[in-house]
Amino acid sequence: MALREPAWRTFAAELNAAMQEERGTGERAATYLLSPYGARMNRVLLAGTLSSPETIGKDPAQPFWRARLVDPTGTISVTAGAFQPRAMAQLQSVQGPRTAMVVGKVHLYRGNDGTAYISVRAESLRTIDELTLRALYADALSQSFDRLELVGRLATDPNLPDDRFDGAPTAWVRAARDSVRRYPTVDRAGYRAALKGVLEVVEGTHAVLPPPAPTPTHVRITSSEPPAAAPRAAPSAEERAHESAFLDVLDELVDNSSDGYADLKELVQRLAEHGLSAEMAEELLDRLQEDGVVEEPIVGRLRRA
Amino acid sequence: MIEGPPSSEPAEVRLKDLRVSDVPVQIVARIVSVERREYSRPADGRRRSFLTGLLSDGTASVRFTWWEPPNDEVDRGTIIRAQNVQVREYQGRPEVSFSFRTRVAPAGPADLPKVDSEEVPFRTISELQSRSEGFRLEARVLRVGPKVVTVGAEQRQVYEGILGDGTGLVAFSSWSDFHLAPNEAIRIAGAYVRTFRGRPQLVLDETSIVARIDPGRLPPIEALLPSAPRSLARLEAAGGSESAVVEGLVVALLPPSGLVYRCPTCRRPVSGGLCSQHGAVKGVADLRARLVLDDGTSTVTLNIDRPMTESLWGVTLDEALERLRRSPDPSLLESSLADEVVGRRLRARGRVFPDDFGLNLYPESVEPVGVELDERAKELRNRWEAARGAA
Repeated sequence: MALREPAWRTFAAELNAAMQEERGTGERAATYLLSPYGARMNRVLLAGTLSSPETIGKDPAQPFWRARLVDPTGTISVTAGAFQPRAMAQLQSVQGPRTAMVVGKVHLYRGNDGTAYISVRAESLRTIDELTLRALYADALSQSFDRLELVGRLATDPNLPDDRFDGAPTAWVRAARDSVRRYPTVDRAGYRAALKGVLEVVEGTHAVLPPPAPTPTHVRITSSEPPAAAPRAAPSAEERAHESAFLDVLDELVDNSSDGYADLKELVQRLAEHGLSAEMAEELLDRLQEDGVVEEPIVGRLRRA
Repeated sequence: MIEGPPSSEPAEVRLKDLRVSDVPVQIVARIVSVERREYSRPADGRRRSFLTGLLSDGTASVRFTWWEPPNDEVDRGTIIRAQNVQVREYQGRPEVSFSFRTRVAPAGPADLPKVDSEEVPFRTISELQSRSEGFRLEARVLRVGPKVVTVGAEQRQVYEGILGDGTGLVAFSSWSDFHLAPNEAIRIAGAYVRTFRGRPQLVLDETSIVARIDPGRLPPIEALLPSAPRSLARLEAAGGSESAVVEGLVVALLPPSGLVYRCPTCRRPVSGGLCSQHGAVKGVADLRARLVLDDGTSTVTLNIDRPMTESLWGVTLDEALERLRRSPDPSLLESSLADEVVGRRLRARGRVFPDDFGLNLYPESVEPVGVELDERAKELRNRWEAARGAA
């Protein structure tokens, strides 16, 4: 059974608070993002103010666009690439800021320092009017309350059996159970408070949305919550220094190259000037590749992933 | 001295009274389903065929295995009398097997045991399971209509519809005309339940008994047919429904959608100028749409016919063909349709059934719905205040 994933009605703050990624088993298994507020999301539906998109792909054959979606709880990146041609065309046509709804897949990239970068890869996207936005927010708010209630009940009594949640989808009960277990220290009152802004939009007492901030060249979304489970022991200060030296040299070489790649030999030579042995350079490269920071698509030629 | 029946011909046993025993029995039953399978005989490794399926006599249904069956096909619906039948047990239920010692002969409906409709227990629709048999049911006819089906080379009229009793809904299919009309309240005996497209279906035939009862004994038709939308997760957990109302947002358009070509004879899709049944044909243009409706808990695929597609899209088949003449790229039509429908809030009614990809619905009706914003805002404000009070 390859059931289609539902589009979870959610908000930017819930996505940005999610740190736990899960991979299903088997071929073509879906990836899920578990939030502290009771959602296990593969596909989401978001609405808000969408900024004008910018292109972030370096390779003209692989165009990739990104825009920022702002809702009353926060900001999230929305991307579309060549694999979503319709969504990409729709995203490109947005001359922001515009009110829009987006359906897409959540995508988590964890940086080397454990920072989570969460974005939504759009599958479909359309601009909407204010009444449609308010209706979408009403749905999402109502379902968020439902899920928070499940989480609240399970936080009080973690041993409540599944059949004690009359009418709630089994998948929601399971997600809430896991949220409670995997985010034992998260304070959910802050999220509830952020939802008040959404409620005011639904009520029509609040102007739709604040104007979006100017688009920065690089969107960095960090969570105020520490990751519930550290992916590995934090690197030492020395390792960090080496990594940053490695990346600085790499960027410099890439910037000066004609094809967008750094030559490995040249990189090792330059790193020796920074007091890093060839062995250490190899070790660093392995680690950065493993972490998905650097890639070597052509033997001996490196670039940032 | 009174002579008993000869020991080689034991008395006829009703299927509900079958007990595991070494003593062979005699039964009369109808073949409800049958399938021919093969096995290799260990002695010489030769392939042998055997039949397996379901027998019913109106009191119960049992699995049967027929070793060394006739080479001719044995049709579903055939009534047989079998003597020297062995009764065994499999997973707590009796099963029968026919061996070379068993004599199987054709029989007629008159030979089937008379099911006394006063004798079998009452069941509600929610209690019915696949292979349920030997029960009485009181229900209201919600929908009924004739349908012509092809059985082998023969065309037969069946009557299909939906029954409801307040505990649930069940589809029925009757091989016999009981002159059923919508809204009638009936008592049924001698029907059985099979699985059809992933959902239970009540089957009535010549041996079934239908009696009209006081319509006041059952809730009115409006109360039996759902009017409020159900969450898709609940429908999925229930394995679908005979008649449900669903509501959600269109989040995607699945292929094939838009302009399609169908076989003029059977309406199957034509691919490369070929129909899978009728070979090379000139396809007839048609419109359709497969919409993914999502309510946040799950999804359902709506399969929309031409009139509904035209009304949602605002483009008729003729206009679509005209557009194709002007810009001969059919994918433009599909994206125009997608632009029009994705994001729409729709309500649909019809039979919901599961397949490997989730729920499906061929709607009887589809309509755009609005949202009572003031009402919902009040409701949400109350929930917000209640949660704050509790915290």
